[in-house]
Amino acid sequence: MKKYRIAILFMLLAVLPAMIFAGGSKEQQTTKPAEKEVTADEPTRDELIKQAQAEGTLMIYSPSSRHAKVGAKFGELYGLKVEVVQLKDTEMVEKISKEAAANIDAADVVFCQDGGRVYSELIEPGYVKSYCPPSLRDIIPAKYQNPQVWDICTKQIIFNSEKSTEQPIKNVWELTEPQWKGKVQFKDPFGEGVNMNFLTMLTKPEQAEKLAAAYKNRYGKDIVLTTPNAGYEWIKAFYNNGLLLGKSDTTMSEAIGAKGQKDQLMGLFTLNKLRSAKDKNLALQTCYNVEPFTGFYYPIYTFIPSNSRNPAAAKLFIEYCLTEGYAAWNELGDYSPNPQNKNTEDPIQISQWAEWLVWEDPQWVSEARVDVEEFINSIM
Amino acid sequence: MEIRYRIQSFLKKPHNIILLVVFMLLCYLTLVPMATMIRDTVLVHVGEAKRLKLPAFSYTLEHWRKVLVDATSLNIFYKPFLNSLLTSLGACLIALVLGGGFAWFVTRTNMRWKGILSSLCIFPYIMPSWTLALAWFNLFKNSLVGGSPGIISALTGIQTPNWLAYGPFPIAVVTGLHYAPFAYIMIGGILRNMDANLEEAALMLNASRFRIMYRITIPIVIPAVLSTFLLVFSSAMSSFAVPTFLGLPVRYQVLTTQLYRTLNGLNPGQGYVIALLMIILGVSILALNQKIIGKRKNYTTVTGKSSNIALVNLKKMRTPISIIIAVILFCVSVLPLLSFALESVILHPGDYSFDNFTLQFWFGTAEQNSMANSEPGLLLNPKLYSSLWHSVKLAISCAVCAGTIGFLAGYAIVRGRGTRLAEYVNNLAFFPYLMPSMAFSAIYLSMFAVRRGPVPALYGTFLLLVVTGTVKYLPFASRSGINAMFQLSKEIEEAGTILGVGWFKRMTRLVIPIQKSSFISGYLLPFTSCMRELSLFILLMTPNNQVLTTLLYYYNEKGWNQYSNGINLLIVIIVICINSIVNKVTGASIDKGIGG
Repeated sequence: MKKYRIAILFMLLAVLPAMIFAGGSKEQQTTKPAEKEVTADEPTRDELIKQAQAEGTLMIYSPSSRHAKVGAKFGELYGLKVEVVQLKDTEMVEKISKEAAANIDAADVVFCQDGGRVYSELIEPGYVKSYCPPSLRDIIPAKYQNPQVWDICTKQIIFNSEKSTEQPIKNVWELTEPQWKGKVQFKDPFGEGVNMNFLTMLTKPEQAEKLAAAYKNRYGKDIVLTTPNAGYEWIKAFYNNGLLLGKSDTTMSEAIGAKGQKDQLMGLFTLNKLRSAKDKNLALQTCYNVEPFTGFYYPIYTFIPSNSRNPAAAKLFIEYCLTEGYAAWNELGDYSPNPQNKNTEDPIQISQWAEWLVWEDPQWVSEARVDVEEFINSIM
Repeated sequence: MEIRYRIQSFLKKPHNIILLVVFMLLCYLTLVPMATMIRDTVLVHVGEAKRLKLPAFSYTLEHWRKVLVDATSLNIFYKPFLNSLLTSLGACLIALVLGGGFAWFVTRTNMRWKGILSSLCIFPYIMPSWTLALAWFNLFKNSLVGGSPGIISALTGIQTPNWLAYGPFPIAVVTGLHYAPFAYIMIGGILRNMDANLEEAALMLNASRFRIMYRITIPIVIPAVLSTFLLVFSSAMSSFAVPTFLGLPVRYQVLTTQLYRTLNGLNPGQGYVIALLMIILGVSILALNQKIIGKRKNYTTVTGKSSNIALVNLKKMRTPISIIIAVILFCVSVLPLLSFALESVILHPGDYSFDNFTLQFWFGTAEQNSMANSEPGLLLNPKLYSSLWHSVKLAISCAVCAGTIGFLAGYAIVRGRGTRLAEYVNNLAFFPYLMPSMAFSAIYLSMFAVRRGPVPALYGTFLLLVVTGTVKYLPFASRSGINAMFQLSKEIEEAGTILGVGWFKRMTRLVIPIQKSSFISGYLLPFTSCMRELSLFILLMTPNNQVLTTLLYYYNEKGWNQYSNGINLLIVIIVICINSIVNKVTGASIDKGIGG
């Protein structure tokens, strides 16, 4: 008897340190169900503030490190406790869906990108609800309200401007021509979902038609299809023209913008990187009005998860981030869906960019993306 | 009555109880994930339900079809599979030639500077493997990827060819270098413990040096070489970061990058199929290993090693050979460190002129570092200290858990040798080694995301990281536990039993003190591996419990290379310091862990 009691004791001893060390992390409960859903029967703003102050700590998930500061400021403003967790987009969707499915006390507000996954893995199963503050419903364009967009990011065709600041291309089919072979970079779409979403959008019939028209404009003849439509055709030609896949927007911007290179390079990456170009001694300039698109723009959505325990504070925070709180992000390459937050660094407003860039339609993307993923696998 | 008696006598032996407990633990922590994974390969996942026109969570064989027999299978599976085989074989070859050759020089010749060289040799294993890839990339990159030229091109003006800079060749070389210390440790261990009488006998019979090497040394070392080969091979097969860095520019896909693409895309089902196929491959390799080496793992039990091994006298070649080896080791072990140090103190990457040097990324305040999003210099950065604390805490917890369980398992396996239970535990304890880290953590994530029975939802907690690390590194610890116990003759413990000494006292007074250094070595390897691990933790990590490697990866992704290089340097220095302190105090060292 005594012998194996001791053996078991020894086993416990082995596991003990882990338990002690783990003590510091957040305890999660599974017992309490969500108290209140985000519904349309709406309290006034003052009532929301009162409710929020009676709630617990507001937990925010965001891919942006700046939410930490903004969250703290918001907390001070309303006398609330706020905690911010920074997560990457793939982990975010994974985490929110698991937590919502288990209905544990976790996030109250989430900010996430990658419409393809967000739509099929969060919205459709009912794990998150979209919320637009009543004060903004008439101000924010309807297309940004369902689901609610918090921030719009843009990725443009950007070129090395050391030798010439003249825009090198006018039509995206030029990227598939021999003079650009091996000189164009694109972020590996399997590494970041929004890039795959962009390619998927190109295969949507209306975009494909635009690409077919652009082809005719460039070459004076109709495109001959070897794939389902002109969107697929362009993707194939784009890849087969020595396209270089990049790992991150930063390294791509550095590779393309470095001075002293023999060839002019070009790439599709976030305009935001032009902010630090001077500091890093890079020669970068963006294209405008390329036919039929100059790049793409994609939303970072904001939601209240179904397992939120503090929905009132969540609503207030979403309103805050869509109004004064947005100032922390107001810079080149980021745009608020709220037209009152005019971009202060870019002379071109999002309404103009919207005409030149491809938008991400989460529903289409969630339906067609797997096909495009497979297609790309087959042409790699 | 008889059954009761049998159970009683079974439970009377402490090692049986340990085996039973470890067996149940391992079943839960390895077989359940395995079952979940198999289920995931036939499950309709939420993201694909609409497309497959099947309800979510129903079953389908679609993923298997796509991976194995579809028109796209060639690109999804077969090509990456062949690429994986090719690079892994190349890596094995390099690891064996470099590591094994070096082991021979250290143990069998009168080469100079053995002590310092053999500590240097371990460095590539301490560094996260992808930072070696990064160093290679910085050295050889050419205009294909654009940007500032690589160091070679910058110095010589010659464009390095693509095959040298990206793709299978550098992947094999870098992976091979990373695992060469492994080969050194394992083969060196055998050579050191080998009974030198055999060689001496041959020498007395006037056999030539070459003949001794060919007819005696090599045959004795062959089992170790083979084990090393298989271990390195399966590690190389499941390495992810190196092929990602060096393969992407030429779109060179291997199984792990393919796994990442499918798990990260909308197609997790296919990802799990690939992961499962990789595990099957790993298990067959392990089976092959056991078949060839057989049950006689007794090469470590060779007794009474003779102390006066006649070292090969290198004569005139002694200094030149020593210098050549020193130079190679310098290039592999020290140069990357120097490059990390250098890259952490230059302002604009690629410009090595004197006025471009700065210490602001180490000591600068947030205001001085506005170009890096106002991150304060590393040594003033609270993020660094919190992740350092998490790293050390995690590595120590994993080492303590894995080391202790591994030691106990090793003890019980050796004592219960021949029984089926011991055999099961032995194989189960090795099983986590064969699971690709990424698939392993993906499964743990879904397993522990919600409460299941008495097991609470662990996702986002530090405990989950400890559990994952412990299970993943258990193979190292249990191997070293088994080795240590094989070396210890049974009589010693039996003497204690006869004198009526209890099990606990036998362990703490006899077994542990005698094999103290091997025992502690079993803790060092999990510790070291944990400190430099990235792919295992990256999915499970939340910013609240960020560790050094994930912080390093984060900085690297943001393009703040000075910070990431600095952290890299810190990781290596910390691991070396801790290892050498442990070595000084207890006499244990990593190399004793596996080789024995």
